[in-house]
Amino acid sequence: MSSVFTVDPHSGVPIYLQLIEQVKRSVALGVLAPGEQLPTVKALATSLTINPNTVARVYRELERDGVIETSPGRGSFIRANGGIGNATRAAADVAAAAIDGAVREAKSIGIAPEQAHELFKRALARWYPERHETEDRSL
Amino acid sequence: MSDPTTTIAINGLTKRYGETAAVDDLTIAIPQGSIFGLLGTNGAGKTTTFKCMLGLARATSGSVAFNGKPLAPEMFEQMSYVPERCALYEWMTGAEHLEMQRRAFKRYDPKRADRLVDMFALDRKKKVGKYSKGQQTAMALVLAFSTHPEILVLDEPASGLDPVHQRHVLDLIIGEAASGATIVFSSHQIGQVERAADRVAILHQGTLRLAGEVEQLKADVKVVEAVFETDAPSLNGLQNDPAVGYVQRTGRLLRVYVRGRGDEIEKAIAAKGPRSLRVLDQNLEDIFLSTVGASPSNGTEA
Repeated sequence: MSSVFTVDPHSGVPIYLQLIEQVKRSVALGVLAPGEQLPTVKALATSLTINPNTVARVYRELERDGVIETSPGRGSFIRANGGIGNATRAAADVAAAAIDGAVREAKSIGIAPEQAHELFKRALARWYPERHETEDRSL
Repeated sequence: MSDPTTTIAINGLTKRYGETAAVDDLTIAIPQGSIFGLLGTNGAGKTTTFKCMLGLARATSGSVAFNGKPLAPEMFEQMSYVPERCALYEWMTGAEHLEMQRRAFKRYDPKRADRLVDMFALDRKKKVGKYSKGQQTAMALVLAFSTHPEILVLDEPASGLDPVHQRHVLDLIIGEAASGATIVFSSHQIGQVERAADRVAILHQGTLRLAGEVEQLKADVKVVEAVFETDAPSLNGLQNDPAVGYVQRTGRLLRVYVRGRGDEIEKAIAAKGPRSLRVLDQNLEDIFLSTVGASPSNGTEA
């Protein structure tokens, strides 16, 4: 179970953010299925060797975001209703932030907007090959 | 973490040795269930703080309270302390230490003690004086954790241990906190504190330099780095902003160390039209080094 997650505690990015992102991504990708039980706070904290309050915070925030549900005495589970949708939306936010960061990086090293656009098109062609072909034909 | 109950309250603690203050006006609140990491270079005052907390040294002024009460002998049943220097009896065997612990503590758990002895691969029949430094540390930890203490004070608990046993120590600390214990520990290995602790305090030359939640410090402390077309421009007083720690300027490169309000500072620098601008995350070691003034970029200027 715990092997699903890994964190880098020595990164400048807070551990709870790393872990929240990973759980959401795992749900969006179907690595964690609706109804699946998450480890207890203590089990996850000791298996990752991170602070238990950090794990508790991750679970609280995932519950608030509608990705998991916790029932006292039974444990935490991936939400059956809406869990995947909520996680996928959150994973999309992560992707949006990554694209934003890449454009920002391009700008900061002095790449012109036209050139950045070209780079973006090239990336689209690489990762969405089917769509790229149909677009080409329609042109 | 809304309004956590404070288990350990250190209030204005000062310990002087003659003219020098080993600890100067230290105030820290440690909530129940917290793993609190005390960081500092040698001589920062960590061990003195521990000794004053546990009544092994008399504070010059200030107070320490456990669950709102000053230290009293009956509290020792619920507390464990592992000092930096080994406090075991060299002429006694491991088994004899366990027996002594059994007689002294009602909460002693023989099964747990046995498991821990095996985990650290200690020889029960050997005299502790014949143990290596790491084995002595491990034995002290076995005794400390054998009583399921509610409060644990560990001064450099992983010193002399190999990496596998160091990880065992961290997992023990984490498991104990998850069960509700409150733990204070010091370590020179910042990476261990970064993993296990939810809160840290950085002591330097006896005074508290920085304290807070590790995750919050990481979210707050950033370095804004800008590269300009020509020499970095004037900051128009930005360097006096309380959120700005230090400013480093090397020709066209400008680095501003901020704590909190990073977005605002970033915007202010962006307004000066740098060619490139990025915000760098800081891990606990970066934060520690810049706090105690050991960062290579500590040459403050304006």
